[in-house]
Amino acid sequence: MDSLIPSLPYLGRGVLMTLYLSAASTALATFVGLVLAMIQLFAWRPVRWAAEILLYLLRGVPLLVLLFAMYYALPYSGFRIEPSTGGIMVIGVYFGAFMAEVFRAAALAVPRGQWEAGRAIGMRTPRIIVDVVLMQALRIAAPPYINTSIMVVKGTSLVAIIGLADVTFIGRQIVERTLAPFEVFGAVALVYLLICYGLSTLGRYAETKANYVH
Amino acid sequence: MSTETSFIPPVEIEVCSVSKWFGANQVLKQVSTTVRRGEAVVVIGPSGSGKTTLLRCINALEEYQEGEISLAGNAIGYTIEANGRRRRQPEREIAAMRAQVGMVFQNFNLFPHMSVLRNVSLGPIRIRHKDREAAEDIGRQLLDRVGLGQKVDALPGQLSGGQQQRVAIARALAMEPKAMLFDEVTSALDPELVGEVLDVMRQLVQDGMTMMIVTHEMAFARAFAERVVFMADGEVVEQGSPEEIFEAPKAARLQAFLKRFQQGYRL
Repeated sequence: MDSLIPSLPYLGRGVLMTLYLSAASTALATFVGLVLAMIQLFAWRPVRWAAEILLYLLRGVPLLVLLFAMYYALPYSGFRIEPSTGGIMVIGVYFGAFMAEVFRAAALAVPRGQWEAGRAIGMRTPRIIVDVVLMQALRIAAPPYINTSIMVVKGTSLVAIIGLADVTFIGRQIVERTLAPFEVFGAVALVYLLICYGLSTLGRYAETKANYVH
Repeated sequence: MSTETSFIPPVEIEVCSVSKWFGANQVLKQVSTTVRRGEAVVVIGPSGSGKTTLLRCINALEEYQEGEISLAGNAIGYTIEANGRRRRQPEREIAAMRAQVGMVFQNFNLFPHMSVLRNVSLGPIRIRHKDREAAEDIGRQLLDRVGLGQKVDALPGQLSGGQQQRVAIARALAMEPKAMLFDEVTSALDPELVGEVLDVMRQLVQDGMTMMIVTHEMAFARAFAERVVFMADGEVVEQGSPEEIFEAPKAARLQAFLKRFQQGYRL
């Protein structure tokens, strides 16, 4: 155990990397998800089809394969991309495909009568989306959104394989030096557990805040 | 202008030979009717007769394939071009027309995440561009008028069905509509709550609001309608004064319909 203490600051840097990757990927996934959901709901038909093909591709290919493609294949086609940026892009876009379904389903779950009530007082589509549908959809989306965010956080652990020094990567390095896999990976697992627990709690809090009687 | 004609109020809603199909199924067959300013027209008929669809067509919530509807002389929903082609109006135009018609739905459709006052003042703020204070003043007055002056800060989910429906009426009135459309507004209510909504509507009839009311409340139709339209199988079968419709129905389908209603009450 004593031999592990000096490794702690090192592990701390991994935690920071994981937090950074998680926050950035979740933000990107949220943005991509919102855009794709909007496209699916409202865009001109050919654009919608294009988005749908993209969604099938993203959902149908494992994240690890996408990361490998970015890390190993992309350089061959002349692109050179920073692994951390690339990792965030791949994870963000990949989970964006799942976020898209979260948002789309939430928007569709808002009763049609809400749209009609908005139309009946003379509101137009953008206005109805902002004033009427968005708030209700966000409330519906909150639980699956948090769920997907948790998957994003855990998904960032895959970047260890492409050499990014996140908490999983550094954990493995420490294990190689100290030969204490149980303690080290236990600590690594605890880090993910705490982040995800924090997210769940945040989600629960947001849900009660946004609650209205139905 | 002669004095006789000046007593005939102008036509507010004109429905002219409207036909609508859902696929191969024709749900409206050459429907024509008018509502004059200040008139309360009640539409009755069996379920599936197209009453609600007609009402929704008037507010351009439904598309239809033939005919025209106009509000105070202006086409709503479609424009007939010079070459005779029908063109669905752009959303901007339709929205501007809808802002002049109030609509109240069977399921209230209040915005559940907004206070009652916000529900009522949202239209004036967003569409009429009134400042918030003025809009809320109007909102409070209207909520007072429907007997809900103490509920301004409540959320719709905290109200009874009857109260929610009265808020919905106030929300429609806040737009100062030229006409109001009521789509079976008491059908989703518990029986003991129907009266409070009908009271508000009766008040509106007496205030001279132009109204088109789809309802199964025959007693209300009989007492407060200026004119009754009977629809069956997507067509207007008979229209006339409440006396003509209820005391001396001519069409066999209307007679059968009224008979079923009376039997229903007896059971």
